Amino acid sequence: MLISRRQLLKSGLGATATLVVGSAIPAILENPAFAAVPVQTLNFRFTDAIKEMVTHEAGNNEATCYFWCLKEDHLAFPDVPGPNIFATYGERIQIILTNDLDEPHAFFIPGIFNSGPIAPGKTVVRSFVAIRTGTFLYYDNLNAPVNRVMGLHGAFIVMPRRPIGLNRMTPYLVPTPAVQRLFNDLGRASWWPGLTWEQGATNPPHDDGTPAADTSPFRQWIWVLHQASPKLFAEVGSLAPGQLMSPAAFMNKFLRDPFVATSNDLRVVGTTTEFNYKPQFFTLGGQSGHFSHNDPAMCPNAYVGEPSLVRVLNAGLFTHSCHIHANHVYVLCVNNQIRTNLWWVDTFTAHPMDTWDWLVPYMRPPDIPNVRGIGRADEPMTTLAGGKTYPPIEEMNTFIPPLGTQAKDPSGNPVGLEMRMSPLCFPMHDHSEPTQVAQGGNYNCGLVSGIVFLGDRNRPGGPVTFPGMFPG
Amino acid sequence: MSFTAPAFRIPRRNAFIFGGTDPTTGRDWPPLQAMWVKMWDPPTASPATPELLNPTNPVPELMAAAGFQNTPTIPHTVQRDLLHNTVIPMWDGKPVMFFTFRDTDNPATINGNYPAATIRMPRGVVYHGRTQGHGPPPHTIHWHGIEPTPINDGVGHCSMELGAYTYQWQPNFTGTYFCHCHRNTVQHFEFGLFGLLIIDPPDAYFATENDPSIPIGAGEDGARRVACNLPRIAPFSQFPEFEGGDPVIGVANGDPHAFTVAYDVEAFWVLDDVDSVWRDVAMDAKSFYPKAGNIPGVNDTFYHGFFHDFNPDYWFVTGVPVPAPKGGTAPIAANVVIPPALNSGVSGTQVSINARIGDTILIRCLCAAYNCVSITFPVDVVIIAFDGRALGVPPFGLYNAAFVVKKGIPFHLSTARRFDALIRSTKPINSFAKVEFINTRGQVPGFPEDVVMTAQIPIVIS
Repeated sequence: MLISRRQLLKSGLGATATLVVGSAIPAILENPAFAAVPVQTLNFRFTDAIKEMVTHEAGNNEATCYFWCLKEDHLAFPDVPGPNIFATYGERIQIILTNDLDEPHAFFIPGIFNSGPIAPGKTVVRSFVAIRTGTFLYYDNLNAPVNRVMGLHGAFIVMPRRPIGLNRMTPYLVPTPAVQRLFNDLGRASWWPGLTWEQGATNPPHDDGTPAADTSPFRQWIWVLHQASPKLFAEVGSLAPGQLMSPAAFMNKFLRDPFVATSNDLRVVGTTTEFNYKPQFFTLGGQSGHFSHNDPAMCPNAYVGEPSLVRVLNAGLFTHSCHIHANHVYVLCVNNQIRTNLWWVDTFTAHPMDTWDWLVPYMRPPDIPNVRGIGRADEPMTTLAGGKTYPPIEEMNTFIPPLGTQAKDPSGNPVGLEMRMSPLCFPMHDHSEPTQVAQGGNYNCGLVSGIVFLGDRNRPGGPVTFPGMFPG
Repeated sequence: MSFTAPAFRIPRRNAFIFGGTDPTTGRDWPPLQAMWVKMWDPPTASPATPELLNPTNPVPELMAAAGFQNTPTIPHTVQRDLLHNTVIPMWDGKPVMFFTFRDTDNPATINGNYPAATIRMPRGVVYHGRTQGHGPPPHTIHWHGIEPTPINDGVGHCSMELGAYTYQWQPNFTGTYFCHCHRNTVQHFEFGLFGLLIIDPPDAYFATENDPSIPIGAGEDGARRVACNLPRIAPFSQFPEFEGGDPVIGVANGDPHAFTVAYDVEAFWVLDDVDSVWRDVAMDAKSFYPKAGNIPGVNDTFYHGFFHDFNPDYWFVTGVPVPAPKGGTAPIAANVVIPPALNSGVSGTQVSINARIGDTILIRCLCAAYNCVSITFPVDVVIIAFDGRALGVPPFGLYNAAFVVKKGIPFHLSTARRFDALIRSTKPINSFAKVEFINTRGQVPGFPEDVVMTAQIPIVIS
């Protein structure tokens, strides 16, 4: 089951809709994971959709949810969240907004732009300047929080134009000294061998000779977190034109609807197969489970030595506790307040409407046995078989399920289920675990991403690409 | 536009090749059934440990020598099986089912414990954790905050479920961690299948091996130590027995006490909430767990369930009940001491704090609740570490620093986060820390936080 990563990205699994406004940001435009579209003007319609949510894919599925969503003119489809929007600090951005729905809507970026209410059927033309750098949620702030939670939201990212003096670039116009020191040390200090954040690189081929993709500069991933209640959103979508659901009524159902022992699982003594109004789907970038974890556009995929940024935005009403495996990460900035004390954590809290930035060092997972055992990428220990603990060649040559494990594809043809233990794959998930389910169960179809180590830039003989799940 | 007549339909991303193309994008579907299936139906396996080393963890042998466990079945190896059903009566008498670990070399764990016995070891050893899945399998053990290779990380969909396996890793950072099952985690972790994991300084336990008069867990100088970096200014300088180290390379000079401070009293605060309705109704360890069909992605079984809807009705601090109903306030019992047989041979660890004036008190706090917690202390505390990483310890801590949380100022934590905090008082204190459990569905900006329980953890310093 060797698939090329290019195929994966082309398939729609692996292309998160992204727009780059105004002056080109080459790092984003050339990064295939973003499949970014350069635009001069943002042209959004407030519209609606039924979205198919995560589930098995048999014909008779009820795993759908009604959403309000933003359709941008350059993209074939709307989605929830709306597209990631990148701009450069100081850019003037033109925006056209058309309301195809039955009630007023608005487009709001805190501290940057507020369209004000746009009546049904109306189009407005505005412009604004990206006067701040960082990670922002754009959303419809009317009838708060109803419109935003119904799906009208997305990520708005503003990159600085240049670094300060001879320093390395950071994500901010005016970083704190701690942030500047970190970004200056990445790729330069002896404990951070590899690339700076702003450097890209070419990579050696996989062991079977297939080429490996280049490493992009300014590596970053964007996680827009959300929760969806098909029952509640359908009610909002069934209101008469112009009729609004009150925020109090919406939140009471979404957050406080009484518990119901829903079950169609014979192992569990439930009282009904119906659901209550609480959300039953939990998404990262609008996807759940496999569709966000195994998507290199939403899941960090990089080499040891390639520090990467993760921007997290919580568009919903639940608090999430995001835990990343394999590396601890630095918290750089929370709600656009750049930190002076960069806590190095494995878990961090995303309250509703929080935005924050993590720097993932992409150091070698430090608890792989090594000579000094003090968290440095030391000489690996020698195994009983005479090999080395790192790179973990024996592990990477293991297949679980083993080679030859098969099932059928929908046409009845055999399909292999074997999975190689390479590259090194780890999860990121919400540790407040009720969000790890879909429709109240089906663990691991919830709010997840991951962290994948594709290789190691810092091997004594030069960069090494690990055997690929997706060579090429 | 409306629910009955939406403008668009957004198709589900596809998990397999249909033998065709996606009509909405015109692109071919690649075959991803293997990844799709493994994500939620990981295989059960019992592989040999790759890159195998000899374990060097002295703790099992030390515990046996002190009479706290049997001679280790496999030298230098912790035996930890899961899961077992243990019924625990709540403060109001209601019996509630817990899922527990059992360490088969340790009789004190024979009936299962909540939280599980604490696994401790010195930094730098090669750790082996031999684990078998029971009752019903499969299961994994994930060592939260420890960062080894995927097969040793204990996450089924990135490796396998057990079966039987010997987890192998080397703890490189002194600090506070925990371990839990990563199979149907929403249920297993909630039902109590977790325990603390403490990495002590590198000379701990070996010191007792060399000199049995040194208490288990203490270093060569007889003192128990925790990793930190305390600047030489008030209030950080109030803790005697802090040892620094190289300002750039940190602990690399080989001194086992570099960047540690000695402490007199240790307390575990494992803050947890329990939904007894989940426990009553969904006792099967595979509740709502999906099942792969032979055409994955087409005829799999997905269930309707209620694990998206968590409503705690009992609360605990390190297994000590908070004796109040939802919405209430109550103190936990004073003078709870964790027996050494459940703490890797280490004696005297407390829950409620009872210390002397001038003692350096270390609190290791884990939010194991699905809800958030907000902790308000009756004295200033110094936060010295998060998630097993001591603040300010070079080189990776060059970008952060220990800091003070002032008395009366709430400090928030969410699920799985840990902190280590130091307290030292030169005056008597007879008070408590206030721990508010806050609904994760009750933190909407602009509205008051929804506090579902207030626990009081007594702190007596005299």
